[in-house]
Amino acid sequence: MLLVRPGEKVKVRVKVNGVWYERDIEPRMLLVHFLRDELGLTGTKVGCDTTTCGSCTVLMNGKAVKSCTVLAVQADGAEITTIEGLSSDSKLHPIQEAFKDNFALQCGYCTPGMIMQTYYLLKENPSPSEEEIRDGLHGNICRCTGYQNIVKAVQDASRRLRA
Amino acid sequence: MFPPQFGYYRPSSLADALDFMSGGDAKPLAGGQSLIPMLKLRIIQPKFLVDLSPLRELYFIRDEGNAVSIGAMIKHSDLVKDLTVKNKLPLLSHTASKVGDMQVRNMGTIGGSLSNADPSADYPAVSLVYEAKMVLSSSNGEREVEARNFFKGPFTTEVQENEVLKEIKFPVLQGYKFKYEKIVRRAGDFALVGMAVLAKAEGGKVDDIRVAYTGVSDRPYRPYEHEKMLIGTVTLDKIKEFAEKVSNSVNPPSDSRGSSSYRRKVMQIVTINTLKEVLGVVS
Repeated sequence: MLLVRPGEKVKVRVKVNGVWYERDIEPRMLLVHFLRDELGLTGTKVGCDTTTCGSCTVLMNGKAVKSCTVLAVQADGAEITTIEGLSSDSKLHPIQEAFKDNFALQCGYCTPGMIMQTYYLLKENPSPSEEEIRDGLHGNICRCTGYQNIVKAVQDASRRLRA
Repeated sequence: MFPPQFGYYRPSSLADALDFMSGGDAKPLAGGQSLIPMLKLRIIQPKFLVDLSPLRELYFIRDEGNAVSIGAMIKHSDLVKDLTVKNKLPLLSHTASKVGDMQVRNMGTIGGSLSNADPSADYPAVSLVYEAKMVLSSSNGEREVEARNFFKGPFTTEVQENEVLKEIKFPVLQGYKFKYEKIVRRAGDFALVGMAVLAKAEGGKVDDIRVAYTGVSDRPYRPYEHEKMLIGTVTLDKIKEFAEKVSNSVNPPSDSRGSSSYRRKVMQIVTINTLKEVLGVVS
């Protein structure tokens, strides 16, 4: 058991993109603020801040979650993957390539969340139908594209990852 | 938005958690998908959160033959995938796949959702048609509460401050047709109107039928009396009459999702379409 009184800090250890980090934080700190403010990983965005828009989507122990609605202390001991963890050796991940090639973004604010959710969706279901893509991404809001090119990009990414 | 300052307790066992909660001013944290937004909006400001996630005692899906017991910390995404739930409680599995969105389903739990008792949530109506039993635990012991006595009003249940919803017992209903229909303003929103149906019916003849709604009252609503009129040979006229009666028997709230009269109209149409489909009635 662990007791942290109001106003006190708690030590959390989180493995983010393969690296363990340890920080003393207030229990009320949200995972998204832990990633952005404590670790400087600003790829993960805060959009609506109300569990609606999905721009803060990251993977926690392999599952997509909305990091604006997870306390950092809930992620204690967990493995987190953020958008920064997808590319390797400055080479974009095939999903990132597919989003770029299909013009699946305009302002780009929702894109990190869209890509992380796509990553999770394709891991669960490597060749989703259009309907399954739309259902899988319905927790992610884009105000620019009208979603057509995002759906195309996910289909393209699915092909690339299976090739 | 930031949650208000609170203390945090990570218990080593359920008994430890309940012991801590008997001290008062502590709220259990399950998946946090409703609790964290409420903290951010300062709707609640508890002194302590008691994190239930380390409690292995709350993670189980137990097939007991004529019932399936589900631990409070089972996530929506687990209910969608689990084969016991899929085979024995198909309505629950089907409903779980419609809760929130994929990310929310990966964090949110059945116990959390039922304890939160949002008047527009999905599981409360389902618990009413299954006639589920809620097992509440406190440092004084355990008690069972029928679903129909569990929901007291908006965000209010029978769970006392020192209690935790530990498990939910769902009776298995073999050979029942089922559907959960949810009308939302836009993808991912809470239900404007939701309807859960379980029916034992064959060739247009209904032996048993249970219908419950969400979003139309301050708590989930099951029209026990009106259901009886659907027993026997069912026709489109009978369904229409039922739909009119049930939609006139409630006084739905007016809010940003829709006015009271609009909700009542939607409820009537959802009832007709869903029952036609489930009972195989052609117009």
